[in-house]
Amino acid sequence: MSNPTETNAAQARTAAPPPPPAPPPAEWWRSARWRWGAAALLAAAACYAPFQLVPFHVFQLTMVLIYAVALLGLNLLVGHAGQISLGHGAFFAVGAYTAAILLEHWALPYPLTLPVAAGAAFLLGLAFGVPAMRLRGLYLALVTLAIAIFLVPLLKRFEDLTGGSMGLTLAKPAPPAWSGLAEDQWLYFLTLAVAVAAFLLCAGLLRSRVGRALHAIRDNEGAAEVMGVRLSVHKTLAFAWSAMFAGTAGCVYTWVIGFVSPDSFTVNLSITLLAGLVVGGLGSLSGPVLGGLFVMFVPGLAQDINDAAPGVIFGLLIIAVMYVAPTGLAGLAGRLIRKIPRKE
Amino acid sequence: MTDLVVEELTAGYGDARVLHGVSLTVGQGEICAILGPNGAGKTTLLRALSGMIRARGTVTLGGADLTGRSPDTLARQGIAHVPEGRGTFMPLTVEENLRLGAYVRRRGADVEADLDRIHTYFPVLKTRLKQAAGSLSGGEQQMLAIGRALMSRPRLLLLDEPSLGLAPLVTRELFRIVQAINAEERTTVVVVEQNAHLALGIAQQAHVLETGRIVLSGTAEEIRADEQVAQSYLGYRV
Repeated sequence: MSNPTETNAAQARTAAPPPPPAPPPAEWWRSARWRWGAAALLAAAACYAPFQLVPFHVFQLTMVLIYAVALLGLNLLVGHAGQISLGHGAFFAVGAYTAAILLEHWALPYPLTLPVAAGAAFLLGLAFGVPAMRLRGLYLALVTLAIAIFLVPLLKRFEDLTGGSMGLTLAKPAPPAWSGLAEDQWLYFLTLAVAVAAFLLCAGLLRSRVGRALHAIRDNEGAAEVMGVRLSVHKTLAFAWSAMFAGTAGCVYTWVIGFVSPDSFTVNLSITLLAGLVVGGLGSLSGPVLGGLFVMFVPGLAQDINDAAPGVIFGLLIIAVMYVAPTGLAGLAGRLIRKIPRKE
Repeated sequence: MTDLVVEELTAGYGDARVLHGVSLTVGQGEICAILGPNGAGKTTLLRALSGMIRARGTVTLGGADLTGRSPDTLARQGIAHVPEGRGTFMPLTVEENLRLGAYVRRRGADVEADLDRIHTYFPVLKTRLKQAAGSLSGGEQQMLAIGRALMSRPRLLLLDEPSLGLAPLVTRELFRIVQAINAEERTTVVVVEQNAHLALGIAQQAHVLETGRIVLSGTAEEIRADEQVAQSYLGYRV
């Protein structure tokens, strides 16, 4: 180690014209050019993948996107507005069943089912956002858990409409002849389009005045309130928006699977969604996608490791991820990128 | 001309009553200091004024009755509260914090102009716009909190212990800026402060609060000259 005064003196001597003040350290992964490049690369990969993969893998990728859309909504509520929901599987189911019922009983063209399903979930979210005005933390978690619990028996009850325990089987959207795509590829691109639209809508929402209000509520309710943010309005709307994304995902799920039954939407789905989001990364933009990958692949992976106890392995994997990356996989990725030495 | 009129204000938390009928008036464009020992109800008084807690009694601002309104309504009516401990949103950037301050206003062009205005009062904030508020020093955070409150173009600014946890030099600078804001914008200011000497230095009038009641009111000079206050709060005899 050299003496600091000595080095200063040395610098003063050598640097005859004083060097211009160093610009603030540019973090290269934050630069717009890098971001657009990464986005373009990702878009190219997303469009190229279905032509390279076998149909089953295309289907899996489609499911990842569906879960990502649902998690986008859950992230809005939990990661950005600081509320909690253990009942998001129910909003997902409402979207799925709305689409299924419209297709089955009214024979609606499938693109029309999307806005109706999203709208139905939005309204239900609005209704269940009301308790959020008064409850917080564990109490809110309990109320939302109740939504997930009572939904399954309710779906079995109205057999004429919902098909009861047997569920409803539907024809999947056929690829139009002009596209020249196989069914799995067409469904993949439909889902991709919905996912991109949902992602842009969510990002726009978060950048707006509404997004700032949500962040303020999450960080300090009292301070948000005295700045004129109406807590009741924003908490209820956060639930509604969030449910809308889940319902949208549910609707696309119906298109892709072509079958809905009460047993697809048990409490387990709600809890898996929340776990997936936390593992993916709360409050980050890439968290929902990483969470979608987790929700889709990790249960299967757990089955592969040990047939007898997939639940145990799944649980252990969650614990392991949280231990290594307490801010989720998105946070871990950020930390790793920062470790890469910067080019001078 | 009187701006803020508070009559027989009582407030508390649950069953515990903290304010027992506080009455005071503050003139338009004046700075009013609220002094008093810990637990006297100074913070509670500001919370009651900004609607953070329910209060009984009457509060009028510029003639408009504001009694029992919700905090967001009061914010729209021109009350800006800088809470104790600043209440800055740590993970958000300085700019996002400032923009949140303008939440009650709709016109985007005005907001841009106000950002510039805030930067003239607090030049340090301009150099920190994209930084997370949590990474600022205590003094910078307090400046951010006051700047954020100004973004709503308030008629009445409530400051709760702006000196809390700050170095004496920073505190003095902060009070100088508050005085400048008051002089330029004619914003009425109610400031709760433990540092009575500093508060009396910028205030026109002051009230001493003890166990939820006002025990002494007067101009800043009168309060400063008061034997009792000098002993209890200023730490020296005049």
